[in-house]
Amino acid sequence: MNHLLNLTKKELRELLTPGAVVSVLVMVFLFMGIGSVAGNAVDEATALSKIGIVNGDPSGHWSEFALDFIYEAYGSNASEYIVMLDTPYGNNEEIMKEMIEKGLNTAYGMGPGFTASINAKTQTTIDEYYIFTNNGLLGSAASAVSPLIIQLISQSISKELISTVTDPSAADFILHPIKDPTMQGSPDTRHTYVKGEVYDGVSPAELSAALMSQTMMVPIVIMMIIMVIGTMVISSMGSEKENKTLETLLTMPVRRTTIVSGKLLAAAIVGLVYGMAYMVGMSFYMGGIMGSVGSIDLQDYGLSLGLTDWILIAVMIFLAIFCALGLCMILGAFTKNYKAAQTMMLPISVLAMIPMFITMFTSWGSLPALMQAFLFAIPFSHPMMVMSNLMFGNMTLVLAGIAYLSVFTLVIIFITVKLYKSDILLTGIGQTKAAKTFKAFGVKRRP
Amino acid sequence: METLTIKDVRKSYGEIEAVKGINFSVEEGEVFGLIGPNGSGKTTTLRMISTLLRLTTGSITVCGRDVAGEPDDVRKVISYLPEDAGAYKGLTGRSYLKFMAGFFADGEEFEKMVQKGMEIADLGDRIDSKIETYSKGMMRRLLIARAIMPSPKIAIMDEVTSGLDVVNAYEIREIIRGIAQKGVTVLLSSHNMFEVDMLCDRIAMINEGRIVLTGTPAELKEQYGAANLEEVFVRAVKE
Ligand SMILES: Nc1ncnc2c1ncn2[C@@H]1O[C@H](COP(=O)(O)OP(=O)(O)O)[C@@H](O)[C@H]1O
Ligand SMILES: [Mg+2]
Repeated sequence: MNHLLNLTKKELRELLTPGAVVSVLVMVFLFMGIGSVAGNAVDEATALSKIGIVNGDPSGHWSEFALDFIYEAYGSNASEYIVMLDTPYGNNEEIMKEMIEKGLNTAYGMGPGFTASINAKTQTTIDEYYIFTNNGLLGSAASAVSPLIIQLISQSISKELISTVTDPSAADFILHPIKDPTMQGSPDTRHTYVKGEVYDGVSPAELSAALMSQTMMVPIVIMMIIMVIGTMVISSMGSEKENKTLETLLTMPVRRTTIVSGKLLAAAIVGLVYGMAYMVGMSFYMGGIMGSVGSIDLQDYGLSLGLTDWILIAVMIFLAIFCALGLCMILGAFTKNYKAAQTMMLPISVLAMIPMFITMFTSWGSLPALMQAFLFAIPFSHPMMVMSNLMFGNMTLVLAGIAYLSVFTLVIIFITVKLYKSDILLTGIGQTKAAKTFKAFGVKRRP
Repeated sequence: METLTIKDVRKSYGEIEAVKGINFSVEEGEVFGLIGPNGSGKTTTLRMISTLLRLTTGSITVCGRDVAGEPDDVRKVISYLPEDAGAYKGLTGRSYLKFMAGFFADGEEFEKMVQKGMEIADLGDRIDSKIETYSKGMMRRLLIARAIMPSPKIAIMDEVTSGLDVVNAYEIREIIRGIAQKGVTVLLSSHNMFEVDMLCDRIAMINEGRIVLTGTPAELKEQYGAANLEEVFVRAVKE
């Protein structure tokens, strides 16, 4: 037989273990799952949403014109999706309250001088009202398209004006009868409701972007820490088994709990050091990117973290590291040697990557209940979500997360110590049912 | 006095029964050899004595302490050297001995223990080299030194000379004779019948999880009228 063919076949047989195949399949399903979650979020963001209208210029020619334009844009859905608000123009806080009452996230308003101003050939404005909820990157899409809508209204007015006005000095006004609110020097016509306060001159899209730059690195850093310490612990267990140093250690006059704790503690310290290094590195990196875009100081919008918040974050990260370590010690107990350790990392990687992707693209509030339950059950989700949860005062979720992580850690450590006291550490899994299941996952037992 | 007593011990790995009811005892100061072919249950037996594996049934007592009931106490008097063992590759021989001695003693006693370990290992300057640079023979001497330096009541060694060349194997046997003379009980396993003949005061022959014979090498050879233990073993298994 052809030698190359022969060798290739043998290599393939070695590489395509059941474990490798399963890991590929898991990856495919993982990305399919993430795709559908992200897809849902996109659908929601781009779906027609209800808007409110505050008309401070009732029966004015140009305000009626703008309204007609919007009604036309909504077509047959207009009556369902366009809500005329009762609160008079000017009382922003009351407008926001009415919006919340009526379940609206976005509203537009025209002031009393809207028609008069256009007739006098001076630029006017359309106010925007937003209720800011923490819905992740995709959740703030609605406010990102608002400038476009206003521009379209402006254009349609300008089309009307062009046939009536002949004065060349008014050209600038005719091209832009309504001011672009995102332009420098525009009046603060954008009003955003954040945690009980109304802020002018900022849109949810801008807040979201600023939030992302602050919180996005957390999931990535957490995932990295988990991968690094996971690999470390599992491969260290693998080599301890390969060299029989573990076997020797287990016959020393020292409690099993001490051996387990020593391993956990050392890896936790390394994990924290890595974590801090990543945090510092990433914040420089992020600062470099975001700083040049011109950033929003979240503190100005009541979205900042106090000392207690940072302590809670630290506690959560620490607990999550312990969970990860515990899980790795358990998986490591089934590892036969250094090489097999690689396969064993798979479940940990999956558990770290799922919440990373979900928390990066969506937020807790925007997920359906089933996904929320799923996310909550994965211990690593909690430190990934904690920052924005604290900013938005979602304390119940934070505390429930800490409680869950504590229980999870205790259970994991209990199981780890149990494992260390059992035969499994040395024998692997015997001829039991569990063994057959594990074998299917490519975990080989030494003959 | 009996240092080690094994009574009706069985061990199953799932559906496989590796040890099928064995009995033997080891006297204080003896070099006792557990001999048998590969897969006969030697490692399984030694691991049960060393508190690493649970007994399926039966009982083992080491210096009057029950392996199942008081494993922590048993670990204080035994020293176990696994088959084909290695050490932490990144450490030097000296730091490995220090690490292990730390489990048994501190202060002056600790220093003495490390000193003793280095003497047994007899690695010269190489004691300060990384373990990953050691040859198989050096590694084995280091591990034996580690096992013996805390002065255990009983040293348990699994296939301690396997894979070594003639000279290294000879040296290891010399070390074992030396510690036996100092009163340490030694329990070793081997599939090399000649080696056991030279080294052991008494032996137990194990085959397919059962003890087929026990006695001194001389007694057994006489009983079967055989020239060596290999012949004894083959005849005993056939019966
Ligand atoms: N972890 C295990 N799972 C299942 N069977 C095992 C395991 N370890 C050893 N065995 C089986 O137990 C028997 C005895 O093995 P062992 O004690 O290692 O023999 P020896 O040390 O005499 O070569 C063998 O048949 C072996 O295949
Ligand atoms: Mg063996």
